[in-house]
Amino acid sequence: MDPFYMAQVLVRLLPPLGLTMLLSLTALVIATPLGLVLGAWRAELSDQQPAARLIDTWVLIVRGTPILIQIFVFYFILPKLGLQTPLFVMGVGALVLNSAGYQIEIGRAAVQSVAKGQWEAALALGFDRRASLLQFILPQAARRMVGPVMNELSQLIKASSVLSVITLFELHKAAEAISSANLRFSEVIVVEGILYFVFIFGISLIARVFERRLSSAGGLADAGSFAR
Amino acid sequence: MSFDWIAFFEYLPRLIRASGVTLQVSLLSLGLACVLAPILALSRLLGPTLLRSAVQAFIELIRGLPPLVVIAFCYFALPKLGLVLSGFWCGVLALGVVGAVYAAEIIRSAIESLGKGQLEAALALGFARWQAVLDILLPQALRRILPPLTNEFANLIKASSLLSVISVHEISQVGQSLIFETFVVIEILVQMAILYLIIIGTVTFISRRLEKGLSS
Repeated sequence: MDPFYMAQVLVRLLPPLGLTMLLSLTALVIATPLGLVLGAWRAELSDQQPAARLIDTWVLIVRGTPILIQIFVFYFILPKLGLQTPLFVMGVGALVLNSAGYQIEIGRAAVQSVAKGQWEAALALGFDRRASLLQFILPQAARRMVGPVMNELSQLIKASSVLSVITLFELHKAAEAISSANLRFSEVIVVEGILYFVFIFGISLIARVFERRLSSAGGLADAGSFAR
Repeated sequence: MSFDWIAFFEYLPRLIRASGVTLQVSLLSLGLACVLAPILALSRLLGPTLLRSAVQAFIELIRGLPPLVVIAFCYFALPKLGLVLSGFWCGVLALGVVGAVYAAEIIRSAIESLGKGQLEAALALGFARWQAVLDILLPQALRRILPPLTNEFANLIKASSLLSVISVHEISQVGQSLIFETFVVIEILVQMAILYLIIIGTVTFISRRLEKGLSS
């Protein structure tokens, strides 16, 4: 372990870290409204409606296959269709497809977790279903979405490392390139690990605080998951 | 762009063989995780202060890293420390440790979710702390542990796809090299997706059944 070399590596890894953050944030900004709205809508649909089937299929495929396969779909199939797509767009596309699939579940679970009495009260007061959902249920459900959605950002940072396989030069790819060029693996992996850890751990700490403050107690704390 | 069924069936056997490797790696790392997780969880709950904070730091560290970095560490950095493993066993080790850390959190939060009253009651009845945790809390927590734990198994299977970067011949690696060899893209991607869906779908189905069976 050579601290001087590690400092050099750290400086070289900062721009790729920026790309990792840009990828994850862009994907989050697109996937969150998409996923949460579809999820809240799905909570209102009955299982047999075609829209519900479509949303369920999306969730099933996204959660039932590794994100690596979803990335390959963008990487191999878009060019086959004759579309010249920049790697960044492919990467964001795969992350959005994936993250929205998980956030549909967040939105749906949050809406369904609002107690039945709230629905009944709103309907009894003469609001129709739509107004009850928008004015009574969603504001309560939104509080429960904040923690999981923040967590989603740290999940996206972790998932974006997989984009290294399509030679997108984010943090993991850059670290890999530097370490194999200089044949010094341990130092680079340690520096890379520190950078990932600071952001992922930091964000999940903030998410935990929000979760504790905003969601009513009860149920298991979400331990997160490590693979997409 | 049409779907080529001949190519589909030509390459299917190789991918089916590769899914055997995916299953092997996932099951072995599940086994490792099942051994490590209770040790981590219990030493975090019961251990002396120093051990407790060391285990907590380790858990937070692994949770704050992408699995790909843990895999790269095991493959590239461990040999420098004198531990040389083949790609396969390196994958088992990396996934086993990552899985164990998440499973340890599941066990801990399940035990903590039982509430203080259980622990206090057990202590008041004269049980030692470790007896209270092992004999009173753990059996009750078990029904809350099993369903999310089977879910973790599904995550392990998904994470095993990352082992393609250290050339373990599982579904993703074999599929990827088939694509580059043959330029048959869609048929092979569809096969890979279907194989994962079947494996992960089966595990998720069992997990749902367990959840229903235990909650009733």
